Amino acid sequence: MPLSSLKPKMRPHSSLKQEFLKKWIMGLQRCSFSKKNMSILERKKAIKFSADIAMASARNGTTCWSRSLISNASKEGSDIHVVEQILGSESDRPAVENKVPTRRASVCKKIVKRSCRIRRRRRRRKCVASAPSSIAKHLVRKRREVLKSLIPGGEFMNEICLIEETLDYITSLRVQVDVMRSLASASVRASE
Amino acid sequence: MDIGEKDKSELENRNENSINYETPVLPSDWQFGGANLTSSGTSVVPCSNPLAIGSSCASASMADSFDSNLWEHPSNSQNLGFCGINVQNGAISSNAMDTGKGTLTSLRGSIDRTFDMGWNAASSALKGRFFLPNTTGILPQSLSQFPVDSTFIEGAVRFSSFNEGSFSDMVSPFGMPESTALYSRGMGLMPGPEDMFAVNGRKSVSGVESQKSKLNVTEATRDACLQVENRAKESPLENERKSESLVRAKQEAKHGIGGSGNESDEAVFSGHDVGQEEPSTFNGTGGEPSAKGLSLKKRKRGLQDAEVDQAKGGRPPTEAAGDGAENQQKGDQKQTTFINMTAGKQGSPASHPPKEEYIHVRARRGQATNSHSLAERVRREKISERMKFLQDLVPGCSKVTGKAVMLDEIINYVQSLQRQVEFLSMKLAMVNPRLDFNIEGLLAKDLVQSRTCPSSTLGFSPDLSVNYPSLRPSQPGLVQAALPVMGNNDDVIHRSLTSHLTSMIGGLKEPNQLSNAWEDELHNVAQMNYEIGAPSNSLNHTLPLFRRLKYRHTLSPPYIYLAQGSLTVLSVKDQVKTYSVTMWRCGTPFERGNVLVS
Repeated sequence: MPLSSLKPKMRPHSSLKQEFLKKWIMGLQRCSFSKKNMSILERKKAIKFSADIAMASARNGTTCWSRSLISNASKEGSDIHVVEQILGSESDRPAVENKVPTRRASVCKKIVKRSCRIRRRRRRRKCVASAPSSIAKHLVRKRREVLKSLIPGGEFMNEICLIEETLDYITSLRVQVDVMRSLASASVRASE
Repeated sequence: MDIGEKDKSELENRNENSINYETPVLPSDWQFGGANLTSSGTSVVPCSNPLAIGSSCASASMADSFDSNLWEHPSNSQNLGFCGINVQNGAISSNAMDTGKGTLTSLRGSIDRTFDMGWNAASSALKGRFFLPNTTGILPQSLSQFPVDSTFIEGAVRFSSFNEGSFSDMVSPFGMPESTALYSRGMGLMPGPEDMFAVNGRKSVSGVESQKSKLNVTEATRDACLQVENRAKESPLENERKSESLVRAKQEAKHGIGGSGNESDEAVFSGHDVGQEEPSTFNGTGGEPSAKGLSLKKRKRGLQDAEVDQAKGGRPPTEAAGDGAENQQKGDQKQTTFINMTAGKQGSPASHPPKEEYIHVRARRGQATNSHSLAERVRREKISERMKFLQDLVPGCSKVTGKAVMLDEIINYVQSLQRQVEFLSMKLAMVNPRLDFNIEGLLAKDLVQSRTCPSSTLGFSPDLSVNYPSLRPSQPGLVQAALPVMGNNDDVIHRSLTSHLTSMIGGLKEPNQLSNAWEDELHNVAQMNYEIGAPSNSLNHTLPLFRRLKYRHTLSPPYIYLAQGSLTVLSVKDQVKTYSVTMWRCGTPFERGNVLVS
C-alpha cells in the first residue's frame, strides 16, 4: 500500500467517521433484526462485530488487515448476513472472496510455524548470543511477533507491510473509538 | 611530484583547479562517451562547455562545445572549469544520479544548471577571455560518424591531437573562434590558455578526462580516449591532485549548487575513478560495454526511485556509487563507480521509457556494494521511514529512539485501542438493551459535529495515553484514595484495584485465557471482602492480582493504559458476576459502567 495514501489519513476526519457510523448502525440494525432479546454479552459482541466490519469495509479492501478481518468474519456462518449487509452497500464483494486463499495461506503458515516451533525448541538448548546487536535483534523480533498477532492478518505480512498496516489500523481504531465513545456518551445522556 | 605540487599551488592560487587535473582523464571517458553517443544518439550530448552556463546549455551543442573547450584548453579549464567544470561535473554526476535513463540529456541539463550557478562565481573576470581552439582541420575520420556538433568534433580532435603532441602545441591552436560560437551561447570565459597551459600539463588532461567521463558519455573518440587513457595512467600523482581538486571542486560545487553539488562531488569522485580505472563507471543509458556490465550488476529500479534518489541526493558527498569490485581491483581510491544513475522518472528521453520495476540504489562510501547489502539497506530505509510516521501517530513516541522501544509503544497503543473498543462496545450494550440507536436523536446533539463531548469521555483517550506512563508510580496512592471514597457497605464489595480496566475487558475478550484467572482472583477477592477484614488485606490480594494480570498482555515493562478502576460486585447471578466499574482519574470517578464476567 503506498505510503503517501496513509499520510492524509493520519487524522481521522469526519467523513471517515460518518462513513463508519453509517455502516455500523446498518450492521447493528441487521443484527437486532435477526435476533431478539439478546443478552448483554451477545449485544456487546454484535456491537463490536459490526463496528469492526464497518471499519474494515470503510477501507474498501485496500488494506490487508481489513481484508483479513472481513474474511475471518465471513468464515463464521452465523453473522455472515451482517457482513453481507454492510458490504453489500458497497461493491466490496471481492473482499469476501478472499477468505479461501487466506484460509489456505493460514494453514500453510500454521504448518510452517509448527515446524519453526519445533526447530526453536531444539535451538533453545544452544546458548544465546550475547552480542548486543543480536540481543537487540531478538528483542525487535519478539515485538514484531506480538504486533503481528495484534493486527488482523498480520502473520502474512513482511515487516514493511506490517508497519504500514499498523499505521492504517491505528487510524481506524482511533476513529472507531471516537465514534463509539461519542455514541455512548450521547446515549447515556439521552437515557438520563 | 614537484611539478605536480607546484601546479597545485598555482592552481590553488587561481582558486579553481579541478579541471586541470581532470583533463587527462577525459579521453578515457570519451571512450565511453563515444559508445554512449552511438547508442543513444544525438539526444545525448554531454555538456562539455563549462562556460556555457547560459540558458541554452541544455542543447547538445552546448555539451559539445563544452567538451571541445575542455579538450582544447586544459589550461583554460583552470578558470573555466573550476567553477564551470567542477560544477559541471557535479551537475553531471547529480544529473546522472537523478535521472538515470537519458542520463546524458539529464546530465547536460544539470551541467547547465550547475554552470549557471557555479559560473557566477568565476565568470565575471573571465568572460572576456573565452577561447577555444579552432582546429577544424584536425577532425579525425572516426568522429564523422558521430552526430555531434562540429564544435564538439573539433574539440575532440583537438584533444586527441593534444594527447599526441605536447601541450605546447595545443596552446597555439587555442583560440577564440569556436569559443565565440560557444560564447554566444552564454559560455563563459577562459583565462589565457598560455598561463594555465604550462602549469596544467597532465593535470589538465586528467581533469578534462574526469570531467569528460562525467559529461561525455556519448561523445568521445576511441582514439582520443585511448590516448588520454594512456596519459592518465601515467601519473599516480594525479590521483591525489585530483582528489584535491575534487575537494575543491566540491567546494565550488557546493557554493553553486548546494544539494546537487554533493551529488556532483560524488560524480566527480567517481569520474575520477572512472578516468583512472576502467571507464566503467558511467552508467548512461547507452552504456559502454564494460561500464554496462558493471552497472548492471547493481541495477535495481523501483517505484521508490525518486524517493531513494532524493534521499540520497541530500547525503553528504562521501557517498559514492560503487561498483566496488571493479574499483577495488583497479585503483587505490575508495570512490566507487556509479551503480545506477538511471531513475526512470525524471527527464528520460522518449527513446528510453522508464522502467519501473527496479530500485536504483547507490552504495555508500566504504560500505559493501554487494547487491544483498544494498537491498538490505533499501529495506531498512523503508522501514525507518514508516516508523517515523508511526512516531507521529502514536502519542508519546516522539522522543523514543530505537526499534524495540518504538515497537513496544506501538504494541501497547494498539492493545489499548482495542481494549477501549471492547469496553465501549460493552458500555453501549449496557446502555442500549435493544440495540437500537436513535441516531437522529443522538446526532442532534453532538455526535459528529463537535467532538467536545463531556470532558470525561473526551478526556478518556488522551488522558489514557498521557497517564499511562505516570500511572504506575501513582497507582498505590490511588488505590488508597479510592478505597475510602467508595464507602463501606456490607452488600457491596468495594475494591479498588490498581489494574487495567482493560485487563478485565481483555478477560472478556479472551475468556479462555484470562477470565478464568480473573474469575479466580475475583472469587478470592470477593470472599475476602465478605470477611470483615481490613481493606488492606484485600488490597494486598488485589495487588498481586494486578501484577499477574498486567504481565499477561505485554511483553516487558507493563504499561497501564487506563486509570485505575474500582470494582464493585453488584450481583452474582447464574455464575455471572456483575461488577460495577468506576474509572478513576485523579481520584474522581469519570466513567462508570457495568462489567460482566462470565
